[in-house]
Amino acid sequence: MTLLVAALTIGLILALLALGMLVSFRIFSFPDLTAEGSITLGAAVATILILHGQPPLVATAAACVAGSLAGMLTGLIHTRLKVNALLAGILMMTALYSINLHVMGRSNLPLTGHSTLIDHAASIGQLISGGAESLQVLGRELSWHDLSAFVMVLIAVATVTAVLAWFFRTHLGTAMLATGDNPQMVRALGVDDRAMMTLGLAVSNGLVALSGALLAQYQGFVDAGMGIGMLVWGLASVIIGETLVGSRRLAHLLIAAVLGSLLFRLLVAIALRWGLDPNDLKLVTAAFVLAALVLPGAIGRLRMRQAGGT
Amino acid sequence: MLDIRGLRKTFNAGTPNEVRSLRGIDLSIPEGMFLVVIGSNGSGKSTLLNAVAGSFLPDEGSLHIAGQDVTRWPEHRRARLVGRVFQNPFSGTAPTLSIAQNLSLASRRGMRRGLGLAQGGEQRPDMLSRVRSLGMALEERLDNAIGSLSGGQRQALTLLMATWLKPSLLLLDEHTAALDPRSAEQVMRITQQVVSRDRLTTLMVTHSMQHAVTYGDRLVMMHRGQVIHDFEGAEKRRLRPADLLARFEEVRRADLLEETAADLLRRRYV
Ligand SMILES: Nc1ncnc2c1ncn2[C@@H]1O[C@H](COP(=O)(O)OP(=O)(O)OP(=O)(O)O)[C@@H](O)[C@H]1O
Ligand SMILES: [Mg+2]
Repeated sequence: MTLLVAALTIGLILALLALGMLVSFRIFSFPDLTAEGSITLGAAVATILILHGQPPLVATAAACVAGSLAGMLTGLIHTRLKVNALLAGILMMTALYSINLHVMGRSNLPLTGHSTLIDHAASIGQLISGGAESLQVLGRELSWHDLSAFVMVLIAVATVTAVLAWFFRTHLGTAMLATGDNPQMVRALGVDDRAMMTLGLAVSNGLVALSGALLAQYQGFVDAGMGIGMLVWGLASVIIGETLVGSRRLAHLLIAAVLGSLLFRLLVAIALRWGLDPNDLKLVTAAFVLAALVLPGAIGRLRMRQAGGT
Repeated sequence: MLDIRGLRKTFNAGTPNEVRSLRGIDLSIPEGMFLVVIGSNGSGKSTLLNAVAGSFLPDEGSLHIAGQDVTRWPEHRRARLVGRVFQNPFSGTAPTLSIAQNLSLASRRGMRRGLGLAQGGEQRPDMLSRVRSLGMALEERLDNAIGSLSGGQRQALTLLMATWLKPSLLLLDEHTAALDPRSAEQVMRITQQVVSRDRLTTLMVTHSMQHAVTYGDRLVMMHRGQVIHDFEGAEKRRLRPADLLARFEEVRRADLLEETAADLLRRRYV
């Protein structure tokens, strides 16, 4: 039970990463490697601010802003300096590695002994439980601490998803969706497509950094290398979600990304339980994303050929 | 309404691929005039429209629209004054968004886009009646993705979008060329309707000699980046497709002559 709830909580936290990838990769078709740096940036900024005595909420908000700035810079490098999308992201990711080390002061920073958002949630949980340590769920033991953490993260992710769904129904949000679809058309309708893309990357990396900030507070430390492979993680979630929901409507895609992230994390937990070597995790994930990207097209072609043959 | 002075544009200047697409265009279109532009392939018609829309900045010359000097304005800023329909039916709409979403984008052409809800309920009746006026039964499909529509339907919607807010200038670049004959006629009919109803100042490029003589108050013919003929008033009304074809033939002969002359010189002196 504890393992399951932990897997779901991390799945939810990384759902914010998936939502960020949805904005950059699905709306703008921009494989934004900045994410690998900005998730660590978010974690580092939140951690260092909490260590310096800032309230966790302020620290988390600051992390989000820092991520947005990183995304905005990538956007400016791509749209103004005309650097190729992939390269712009790689440049930013590489630069962020050093910046993150500067923020942290060393390559691994624990949060032990400092009060985080998770601790806040746990103390509220304590109030509700009336001091009980754990409760029984489906005949298994579950600690109130874990449950409160899960509920808090769930509320946070639900709120972010709702805000995004609302945003993409506003004039600004609709213009952003259209920019990814057809930049020539939005220019002809008076939208600055370059500014719109920059804003989109800022939103995306703000979400990714928020994910990093929550992750650091949940696991109790930040590590300079924690961003490696995160782009593929996020993509895997987005793709699983899309397959699961099978709708192209934006509100559905948002929910799909969250569900995809949850499911993906569960699959990983199960695979590890069955004895998958943790070192192979990224290899398996990469293979999985490759298959998910290639298979739908390949299956389609196969069907076409069969239909043509008969 | 539109004032073009000494407009020049050379692409890939200083390279072997140098193309002098616009070689000094002077053109004035008063308010409410419907101008038709014809010319052979590569004569610079699209380049002229793109220059007016702001897809690139000209090398020389000036552009005024509705009394404002827009020569240095970026494309998205000019959109406040200019409505535009492209040759490619895919260029004018966002395919994954619904008809209603596309229309609501167009209903704020050139305006600030804030955090108000797009396609709020009060806009719906207006959308329905305007889409109904196209006569394509699209009013029942307002929430369908535009990508699922035919080229003709998309082009008609693009026209509706470009003129949703009355533009100071409407640019049409062979906007019926990619359509089948029936849709082409339908879109042309809608164009004529909208242009005359709103008395729009319009610049239309066409390859159809029939359209060129049927529509518009004035006709210019372009060749090698310059305006070489300009017909207006009674002269324009008297034009027949055969007259235009004769002009094209003239131009072709002159070109041939020029080429043989150049050849001769080269053989002599090089
Ligand atoms: N962005 C560009 N870069 C390089 N060359 C260009 C560009 N745009 C136009 N040209 C060149 O300018 C010349 C004029 O092209 P333009 O598209 O304006 O012709 P057109 O009159 O519209 O022809 P068509 O009838 O085929 O549409 C052509 O030689 C074309 O190759
Ligand atoms: Mg053209």
